[in-house]
Order: sequence, then structure tokens, then C-alpha cells
Amino acid sequence: MIRVGIPHGLFYYYYYPWWKTFFNHLGAEVVCSNPTTRLTVDQGVGTAVDEICFPLKVYFGHVLELKRYALDWIFIPRMVSVEHRSYICPKFMGLPDMIRASIPDLPPIIDITVDVSQSDRILKRDLLQLGKLFTPRESKIREAIKRAREEQKFCDTLAGQGYTREEAIQLWEGKATHSFQTSILNLGVLGHGYSLYDSVINMNLINRLRNMGCRLWFPESLDEDEVERAATAIPKRVFWTLGRKMVGSAIYLSKQPEIDGIIYLACFGCGPDSLIGEIIERQIGDKPYMLLTVDEHSGETGMITRLEAFCDMLLRRKNHIYEDNLSTHGQYADCHKGTI
Amino acid sequence: MDFYLGVDIGSVSSNFVLMGSQGEIYKKVYLRTEGNPVRAISTGYSILKKDLTQNQQIKGVGTTGSGRLLAAVMLGADVVKNEITAHAVAASNLYPEVRTIIEIGGQDSKLILLKHGIVHDFAMNTVCAAGTGSFLDQQAARLGVPIEQFGDKALDSSGPVRIAGRCGVFAESDMIHKQQMGYPLEDIVMGSCEALARNYLNNVGKGKKIEEPLVFQGGVAANRGIRKAFEKILGMQVMVPEHHDVMGAIGAAYLAGEVIVHNRQITNFKGDDFVLQGKFSSVSRECNGCANMCEVVCIRRDGEALAYWGDRCKKWENSLQPSSRKTAGEILAI
Repeated sequence: MIRVGIPHGLFYYYYYPWWKTFFNHLGAEVVCSNPTTRLTVDQGVGTAVDEICFPLKVYFGHVLELKRYALDWIFIPRMVSVEHRSYICPKFMGLPDMIRASIPDLPPIIDITVDVSQSDRILKRDLLQLGKLFTPRESKIREAIKRAREEQKFCDTLAGQGYTREEAIQLWEGKATHSFQTSILNLGVLGHGYSLYDSVINMNLINRLRNMGCRLWFPESLDEDEVERAATAIPKRVFWTLGRKMVGSAIYLSKQPEIDGIIYLACFGCGPDSLIGEIIERQIGDKPYMLLTVDEHSGETGMITRLEAFCDMLLRRKNHIYEDNLSTHGQYADCHKGTI
Repeated sequence: MDFYLGVDIGSVSSNFVLMGSQGEIYKKVYLRTEGNPVRAISTGYSILKKDLTQNQQIKGVGTTGSGRLLAAVMLGADVVKNEITAHAVAASNLYPEVRTIIEIGGQDSKLILLKHGIVHDFAMNTVCAAGTGSFLDQQAARLGVPIEQFGDKALDSSGPVRIAGRCGVFAESDMIHKQQMGYPLEDIVMGSCEALARNYLNNVGKGKKIEEPLVFQGGVAANRGIRKAFEKILGMQVMVPEHHDVMGAIGAAYLAGEVIVHNRQITNFKGDDFVLQGKFSSVSRECNGCANMCEVVCIRRDGEALAYWGDRCKKWENSLQPSSRKTAGEILAI
């Protein structure tokens, strides 16, 4: 059986069900690298060029892991645009070339260009061509594309139920995942999916917040049309797909009274983040907002202190607002009373 | 008489206060951590302890600072809080109307904005520690001025020179350059104070609305040059509390008092024998259980493991007997 390797990073989080179903249906076995570990990070950072962002460096680590397996192909698509008139960060355009230049002796790379900014005609043609690596029958390839689309849609629905995309993929593959507990705070958590849903890149952000009793809202948890409508609030359309979704999500969440605050996870070295984080801060008015920046630095103290302080602030604020109506003295250790 | 013990273990200093139930400070200790928080905690406690009589008891313990978990395990804490909440609580008790807190410590600088005594917004320095205590320490040592006199030296200046404060490394080379050009020392020192204040306001205070009353606390608040620089740049009165150097510990003591009184609970404080008789040590090693290679820390007392942390999978944390278990998760539970 032909074995195709898919690195567990970047657009894996958005399109893994599509890719896996497509290759499986064509009769290939899909081998995915394991979730990111410190080792993946160390190897990736050691191999990648300096200038790229952290998640791209981690991706190099995943490719290095796949190199150890006996594979016939490695799938590293050249992501340019996944929707009309919107684009992915330009660093993704050069990714297959960067990998080729930095990691020798890899199995052949499938670097199909995904660019539907104008039309999907070329992508469709290329997919048929790609399918011919595995089967001569065009009908089978068309069927594979159709199935892939369906599975992707199903996984997207799962992701809409409050799960991270990583959890949704686990669910889609039939693995059990996290169950939600009662929450004391509702937080919007935004960021590029490949940083936000990778528990090593995000320094365990999601689990930490859930363990502190927060219910989390991701861009995928929100109604897509509402997000798109909210994103039109700023004068110039954001032409990055993920950036626009985050701006829209943030503006939408900022108008929901039950949302206590918004956290934006940015990567040091990410071009779009440096703009989007700032745009959001200016657009969301009074809603409590915190920007967290991560990179390969592994000290967790700064992250923990900020998360605790942010949650403390929101809890104490909540308590204060309720104070006018009902006495909750001391419920959250009220501290501005002078004496104890 | 009963006391609450507040402990703030920071990167540069370790602070301890004994606070009465009305918020009065009975005793405070300010120590240098000197890279050994375990020793700092036992030394600090033994100094505090000296003045306590038989019928004076510790009713509650609160810890804060980057070494808060360690202090919590060694002393038996009732509350473990981050520095931002602790500093805000301390300042708003002292100045109920306070709107802005500037806190500059050894490696961190923070800006806390309050409304009606409650934290409304905050910011911390990100990748850059220029303008914190460590930088001042280093410059004072380089210029041969004791750090305690560094700020007063600045006040002698009649015309501060312009120092680039964007980055600590550049600031230092700029200071050296100005020295070689023959500018008087006090003008260079005051220039560096102004550069640091500007750097703080541009980085930490970026986009934040700073309003009076304004409180300046943390170890660096002892530096009168920096205080003057803030007053000059902001055009506001900058208040420095009497116990500015131990405000984190004061906040932790307040929080401990609240928890004890509100929950009507008996303190977890382990007592003198536990803290002073035992020999504490901390060991860290890289766990080889999986590719995450977590750096697991173990806190031991006389060879017995008290706590583990740093492991993502919680294998080590959960390996302790439930009776003696004190996980980071439990300690940090809100």
C-alpha cells in the first residue's frame, strides 16, 4: 500500500479530515506525525530558517519525524488561498520549498498549490492530476473529492460544538475527548488555529483555562455568518482568511453580554498577528482583552501569572457588578472594604 | 494577638510581612532571594518568628510572586495568588481611591488600572526587562554607586542628559558614551531614570489611560530619581507607600485574611517545627517518560517528597499519597 505522510501542524488543524479521506479513498495509507512535543519543537527550531514564525518552525519538526517512517510521499500543500479574494500568510507559499531546501533526503513531496482566490478551476485540474498518482480512474478521484468534502463538513460541525479543532479531529477519528464542566467565566479565545489548538505552542493555554473553570468560545464555536457580518465593521476588508475570521469573531464576541473577556494568542514573529491583535484591541471597546504572545521560549511563569490575573480580574469585576443588587459579600473574597 | 503572614517570593527579593487583623503591619522583612528561594523562605520566616511570643499566632498564610508555589508548599498556604491581584489588593486597601498602580520589581514591571477598588485592566512587560530592578542594580554596580543611593544621586542633577532607553543594552552603551564625553555622573544617572520611565510608559503603558491617584510601588519605587522622572513625564503626583517594597506580601496577607474569615477555616500553616527544623531541598530533572521532556521539580523535606510540578501529564504530581498531596492544580484553584 502506498503510504502518504501528513505533518501534524499548520493547516492540518483545518483540513486534515479532507486530506485523509481523499488519500484513503484513493487506496493510500495516511501516516500523521504525533502531536507536538518538546522534541518536535527543539528539532524544528534547530532545522528551520530563523526568520519564520514559531508554528512554521514546529512544522519542520513534524516533517523530521515523518522522515523516520518509510513513506512514499509527504504531503505539504502550498497554501495560497482557500476562499475567494482572501489569502493565507505568504510564508505558507514558500513552505514546500523551505522544507526541501532545509531537510535533505525526504521522500518526494506532494506540493499541490491551493489557490482559489480567483477560481477553483486550476485546483480541480491539479487534484485530478494528483489523484492519478494513485489510480488511473477519474471517477474514483472525483468520488474521493466528494467524500473528502463531506467528511470535512462533518468535522467542522463537530468543531462548532465548543471543541478545539484538534479535539474535533480526535472526535472525528472516533477517539474520546474532553467533556465540559460547569463554568464560572465565559471567555473568547482567538488565534491562528495552528497555534491556538497545539497544546505545546499555546503552552497548554486551553487546558489551563478550562481547569480554572472557564468555558471557551473559539472562532469555530460561533455562527459563521455572524462572524462575517461583524468583520465588515472595519473600513478595509482584512484579506487574510484567518485574520478576518478573528477580527469578526472578536467584534461579535465583544457584543455578547455573557462573554466576560477575550484572549488573543499571538505568535512572536507572525506578521498578520502583529496587525490583527492591534486591530481587535481597537475594535472591541470595553470588553476585557488580553494579548498573549508566545514563541520558543519555554518559561511558563509569565503565562500562568497573566492568565490567573486576568481571570481574577474578571471574577472580581463580576462580583462587584452584582453587589448593587444582592449581597454577595466575600463570595470572591471582596478586598476593598478596608479591614478584614 | 493573631497575625496573617504574607510572603512574596520574587526574582530579586523575598518579602515577608506579619499583619494584624486590622491591616496594621507588625513586622516586615525584605531579603535578597539571591537565586535560592528555598533558603530565602526559611531565613525570612526565622527572622519574622524571633519577635513572636507564645500567645501570638499565625492565623493564615498567603503567598505570591514567581516563587508562590514553592512558598505555599514550604509554609502551608491558605491562598496562593498572582502578583497583580496581590499588588492591587494591597494598594486599594491603603488608598481606596487609587486608579493607577505602577509596580516595578526585579524583572517584571506592571501597570494596573483600577475602578472602584477593582482591577479594570493590567499590563506586564513582555520580552524586555529594560527599566526593571535588575538593570538598575547592574548600572549602579558599574558606576560604583550603591543602589540605595542611586536615586538620590539622580536628584542632584541640574540638567539630565538624554539616554536612549528603548533597550537596556543600548541604554548602557549610551550611558558609557555620555560618561566618556565628560557629562557629570548625576546628570547621567538622572538621564537613565528618565529613560527608564519613558521606556516603561511606552512599553507597558502603551495605549493605557493613566489617571490619578497614582501609586508607585515595588522595589524600584525606593529610587527617588525614577519617581521624579514619572512625575515630570506624567505631570501627576506619584505616591509611594511607606511599605512600597513589600506591597505584594501585604496583599497576600490581606487575601489570606479574607479566605480565613470568609470560609471560617483553620489555617494550613505548617508551624515552626515544619518550617525551621526540616531541611528543604528542591531537585529538578528532565522526565524521560515521553518526548515532551518536561522539567519536573520535586520539593523535598528531609528526603520526603512534598510536591511535584512541571509535568504536563501530572504523572509525578499524582504519584504522591493523597493525604500529603498538594498539587499545583489544587493550590491554584480559584
